[in-house]
Amino acid sequence: MEEKIVAIVGNPNTGKTTIFNALTGSRQKIGNWPGVTVEKKEGYYIYKNIKFNVIDLPGTYTLTGESEDQKIAIDFLIQNKSDILIVVANGLNLERSLYFLILLRELHKNIIVDLNMVDLAEKEGINYDLLHLEKLLKVKFVKTVGNKNIGIENLKEEIYKRCKEPTSEFFIFNYGEEIEKSISEIIDIIKEFNLSYPKRFLALKILEKDEYFINLINFENYKKINDLIVKLEKFFNKPIERVLIEKRYGIIHGIVKETLIGRKKELKIEITEKVDKILTNNFSGPLIFFLIMFLIFDLIFVFGGPLENFLELILEKLKNFFVKSDLSVWIISLINDGIISGVGSVILFLPKIFLFFFLFSILEDTGYIARAAIVADRLMHKIGLHGKSAIPSILGFGCNVPAIMGTRILEGKKDKILTSISIPFMSCSARLPVYLLFTSIFFKENQGIIIFSLYLFGIIVGILSIKIFGSVFLKEESLPLIIELPPFRIPYWKNILIETWTRTKYFLKKAGTIIFVGALVLWLLSYFPDPNNYGGESNFIGRLGSFISPIFKFSGFGFWQAGVALIFGIYAKELVVGTFGTLFGFENLSNTLSIYFSPISAYAFMIMSLLYMPCLATFLVLKREIGIKWTLISLFWSLFIGWLFSVIFYQTFTFLTGG
Amino acid sequence: MTKIKRLSEVKEGKYKVIDILKPGKLKKLSNIGILIGDIIEVIKSGPGPVIIKNKNTTIGIGYGIAMDIIVEKME
Ligand SMILES: Nc1nc2c(ncn2[C@@H]2O[C@H](COP(=O)(O)OP(=O)(O)O)[C@@H](O)[C@H]2O)c(=O)[nH]1
Ligand SMILES: [Mg+2]
Repeated sequence: MEEKIVAIVGNPNTGKTTIFNALTGSRQKIGNWPGVTVEKKEGYYIYKNIKFNVIDLPGTYTLTGESEDQKIAIDFLIQNKSDILIVVANGLNLERSLYFLILLRELHKNIIVDLNMVDLAEKEGINYDLLHLEKLLKVKFVKTVGNKNIGIENLKEEIYKRCKEPTSEFFIFNYGEEIEKSISEIIDIIKEFNLSYPKRFLALKILEKDEYFINLINFENYKKINDLIVKLEKFFNKPIERVLIEKRYGIIHGIVKETLIGRKKELKIEITEKVDKILTNNFSGPLIFFLIMFLIFDLIFVFGGPLENFLELILEKLKNFFVKSDLSVWIISLINDGIISGVGSVILFLPKIFLFFFLFSILEDTGYIARAAIVADRLMHKIGLHGKSAIPSILGFGCNVPAIMGTRILEGKKDKILTSISIPFMSCSARLPVYLLFTSIFFKENQGIIIFSLYLFGIIVGILSIKIFGSVFLKEESLPLIIELPPFRIPYWKNILIETWTRTKYFLKKAGTIIFVGALVLWLLSYFPDPNNYGGESNFIGRLGSFISPIFKFSGFGFWQAGVALIFGIYAKELVVGTFGTLFGFENLSNTLSIYFSPISAYAFMIMSLLYMPCLATFLVLKREIGIKWTLISLFWSLFIGWLFSVIFYQTFTFLTGG
Repeated sequence: MTKIKRLSEVKEGKYKVIDILKPGKLKKLSNIGILIGDIIEVIKSGPGPVIIKNKNTTIGIGYGIAMDIIVEKME
């Protein structure tokens, strides 16, 4: 079948993803752009026997990229990888969309403008004469209402037509005599370079002092061009960038005025404004922010907990089924202790991950996330991060896995890496059983305070890690915040369901395959060479435990059982408790533990459990999100700092108590 | 008393953008639709990010950028 590539571009919040969803339905997948960690969304649909592969590009306002995701969109656009571009424009703010369109028109021929949100525009009395717009800008316009599926068939038809008969005409925007003269001269100078961009586009970019393009031509040439620029700036008495911007907007204002039908009313968004004042106020803003985060947190547990228990029950039933079967003992152990326990530990994350993405999509679709970024910006700036980083970080207290996946909302590479590295130090719910077990034995009187201190300790180590890695390894500056606050909207269920489903599916696929191997290895180590003593000292894992236990002598828990528990904790941190149960017997667990541990070494052990290496599932998503190098750095860092702090704690308090 | 101030220092109210100090920031802001000469309304003032309304869109601007936007109070 014939295939065509359709790319969807436009400013943020114009409805690109909604249009993408409307075109492709659920026939889509997400992945990563090669070499970087920005999400890539692809899907397809079939229309009149042609398969249209659709790509949802990250939103951008311009062709000069700053953040990682914008660079992707821009690279894609500059390299002209698609057969046709759909520029999604916001019917409520046509000026800015046209600005982007004009920039694009110098680069691309085959474009359709999708004038979206016409329902909102019409409500405000805004309507445009499309035929006139088409004539002025020499490009096809299609009206749509993305979330009501209006105009989508028409859009498909136009895409089809345009693919069958692409236009061959560039749109020449006239910048006036002086500038046009310079453009021709620059084109003359750069003629010799055999670059794949349209010459006029390149000339304009160089005139605009865009570094990326200046670097493509040699210095001698740039000197000549620079003379031209100096002359022009003298003539206009302004920086040339500003002249170009004003020329473009000048023409756009003209076009909009000419094609606007009906009276444009001053928009009544006073309610939004009032709500915004409350949501972002320096006092009520943080309060509401934490309230909402708490609510999400709570909902994930209220609904995720029972679902998780339910899944656990199924896994338990499954294990029982195999125990009762007449397979040989080692196969049963392989299936139950290895595969079901291992793969199951990941599957058990599913309800929470699903819920997180679900709730998060709702917040995103209503427009709250942009406000949250504003609120958190002040605080996060002090740590050296972008305001949006606060959102995934807080969710790390629920579960590190979705939290790290949530760093996808961050634009800058630095923010993303630093946030991801700090998240594993947030006490996720799986650490709680460990805390509960030990505090109930050793700190009966002040269990709450002790547990709280561990949460706090994790935050401090997280901030410490950000500071250290931020200043030593990632010198580049955090991106300054400029963010559009979209009007509040009622969430569109289709967007939310598709978003949630695609992301959950992605997690399952990635985690499922790798964990299978990990589970197998851990099982082999626990089962051999003494099959009767699963996980015991006589098996490889026990020997490994004995082998590593001397390192923990200085932290007060240098016995092999602790080593084995920590190794199993790699699966999922709550397994630390289960392992002690298996090794010491569940009946006398508290008594046995109080023989092995003192309150001080128990606290040191909790510090270790909190800090040392992320669990397997976290490890996997880390690798997906920030790459293997940073994942390994994070891994060794966490092992080191966990060990270091448990030693420092144990030694200090042993010394202080004269012990 | 002068009416010309940095956007990061002003209170809520209507202002006219009279200059944007760094060319890089000028480009960035014009891409999102904020131009010299625009009349803007400050919805949330500093410290911290400033929120403004400009031509029917609401935009949050980090403190660092707001410092380089020079505005004049409108009556
Ligand atoms: N009223 C209205 N809302 C829309 C329309 N298209 C999209 N939306 C909503 O606008 C918001 C942003 O859409 P989204 O597709 O995420 O924008 P993107 O950032 O460009 O991908 C969502 O809440 C959509 O439900 C439309 O035509 N009319
Ligand atoms: Mg989108």
